[in-house]
Amino acid sequence: MALLEIRNLHATVDGKAILKGLNLTIDAGEVHAIMGPNGSGKSTLSYVLTGRAGYEVTDGEILFDGKDVIEMDPDERAREGVFLAFQYPVEIPGVTSMTFLRTAVNAVREHRGESVFDPMDFVKYVRERATDLNISDDMLKRAVNVGFSGGEKKRMEMLQMASLEPRIAILDETDSGLDIDALKVVADGVNAMRSPERGMLLITHYQRLLDYIVPDHVHVLANGQIVKSGDKALALELEEKGYAEFLENAA
Amino acid sequence: MQPYLAQALDASSTFAGAGVGWIDALRRAGADAYGEHGLPRRRDEYWRYTSLNALLDEGFQLSEAAPAIGLPTLPHPSVAGLATYRVVLVNGRVQPKLCALDGMPDDVLISGLEDLLAAAPDRLEPYLGQIAPLEDMPMAALNTAFLQDGMAIFIGENIILDKPVHLISITAPGEGAMMVQPRHLVVMGQGAQATLIETHITATGGSSFNNIVTEMQLAEGAKLNHFVFQEEADTSVHLSGTAVSLAAGSFYDSFVLQSGAAIGRSEIRAYLNGPGVDCRLDGVYLATGKQVVDNTTYVEHAAPECRSRQVYKGVLDGQARGVFQGKVHVMRDAQKTDGNQLSRALLLSPRAEIDARPELEIYADDVKCSHGATAGELDEDALFYLLSRGIPQATARRMLIEAFLSEAIAEIPLQPVAEDFSTHVRQWLAGHIDQPADGAGS
Repeated sequence: MALLEIRNLHATVDGKAILKGLNLTIDAGEVHAIMGPNGSGKSTLSYVLTGRAGYEVTDGEILFDGKDVIEMDPDERAREGVFLAFQYPVEIPGVTSMTFLRTAVNAVREHRGESVFDPMDFVKYVRERATDLNISDDMLKRAVNVGFSGGEKKRMEMLQMASLEPRIAILDETDSGLDIDALKVVADGVNAMRSPERGMLLITHYQRLLDYIVPDHVHVLANGQIVKSGDKALALELEEKGYAEFLENAA
Repeated sequence: MQPYLAQALDASSTFAGAGVGWIDALRRAGADAYGEHGLPRRRDEYWRYTSLNALLDEGFQLSEAAPAIGLPTLPHPSVAGLATYRVVLVNGRVQPKLCALDGMPDDVLISGLEDLLAAAPDRLEPYLGQIAPLEDMPMAALNTAFLQDGMAIFIGENIILDKPVHLISITAPGEGAMMVQPRHLVVMGQGAQATLIETHITATGGSSFNNIVTEMQLAEGAKLNHFVFQEEADTSVHLSGTAVSLAAGSFYDSFVLQSGAAIGRSEIRAYLNGPGVDCRLDGVYLATGKQVVDNTTYVEHAAPECRSRQVYKGVLDGQARGVFQGKVHVMRDAQKTDGNQLSRALLLSPRAEIDARPELEIYADDVKCSHGATAGELDEDALFYLLSRGIPQATARRMLIEAFLSEAIAEIPLQPVAEDFSTHVRQWLAGHIDQPADGAGS
């Protein structure tokens, strides 16, 4: 059984059709990249997969481990193992990063029938992961994403992913706003998470990220559909030729 | 005749101090001012959003004798663990057996008001009824007509009180509908420092109307931290009026946490009479069902170079209604005034409501003043972010609400009180925010 199977997915935002029959299958252990021009539906796909309010599925199916995801609330999907690294991580004043992480990790672990962490044990659990991502204790004591630089926010997303250990990770424009050093730290974080049990979906406009996180499959999303699939060579081709060909086809 | 006035005129002839000229005159002045004005109505500037129609039919009777009750377990943990001087009122009457006042330093007096009215009225005369303006505070006028008992604190010059004073006010209405009219006085000498904590609760029973008036006078350089916790039953009308007179260089910091009562109102009038006063009025409120919670402030900058700050934050669920009315009045001579006020309300249900009216009235030209009011729902982006990490809907909502309020509570300088208030907020949220809002996040 595929880890994630998207069949003929149609979705609207504010009544406007954005996804128009998208098909995609991701097996455990695979890294897929979806590339596409602005407005092709990349971010919509990430929000539809995670169940954000206002993103309405009008047709099709999303099966995660064979289970129908569309009927699940966003928090339920996350506890089942769906993770989204946000393009723009949200600032939450008044909630410390540590409390936020512990609440999330414990909710997920409880769902999996695993033991929950007390605050002391959790500090240890997080520190092991934070060190690799160059995240200081000070950052963990601060309110979630408040006053963080772009790079710090993305590293914090990676820490959340590493702590929650999802089955499938969707990374929405994770490279945006990062300089090359920050990009390397983030990419190392992602590569460390690659495993035979886990699937990944990279959503990106530029090929640059794929130099550091090499995908098994590359898809082109245009006008709400996957219009072409290939291996990593397709990303290089897109880098060279741009998306003009697909935009014309779509028009 | 205005509601409750006949009761006041009947009862007060038997109260302590009757026959003492100025006390009789003060009670009469209260009765006259109230008799002329009556219960506040919505056309009164400071009562625009809170109706007292519930009091109109005069259903509440003045409590005669307070029932003998033990000190109840207070509805929140840690202030009980803080060493304090304790004054306990049941139905507005001081209960000496429940008080703990041993070891008061020299030049400090913490006493029942009734005892002082009987034994040493001269001590009260310069202050009682001199700070709260009866013409602007009709409920204080009514309270003055009923002037009988409460708490009086005198702290001498340069005394730093070693422990906070904890005033526990219990209303025990029995079966009927009961009225209490407690009156408190705090007089602080030059350079004196103290902390006052108040807890207002209701014993189970019928309904109650609690009309509290507190007058405070701080001499030059005096410093008072004042924390109020109002958690009366939903069968209670709780009206508190506080007037504070602040001399040069004094500091007054008030924090009011209200989550109880059918109508819970805190009115604070601060008079900044000398230069260099620092006055902070903060509050947090939590309301649900059909509760009305009202924070009304009046800050009068009468002298230059004073600072006043107000931050009120609240959470309204169900059909609850919040009121914030705040006026900063900067008089002509009050140059270099720094005054600001902020009201922020979180509306958790489509039927919850906030009426916010921050107001600046400025007659000086060299001032820095600001005001603002916000009202909104939980931030959808933040909520989705928490949900997307697997945090259940109710927990996520509680986390965001607590975060919103914790910024205000973090300003409380006395750690055990701050922790206590945080605990109360968490418990309230755990009891009230357990169901996801309809359709939210899905």
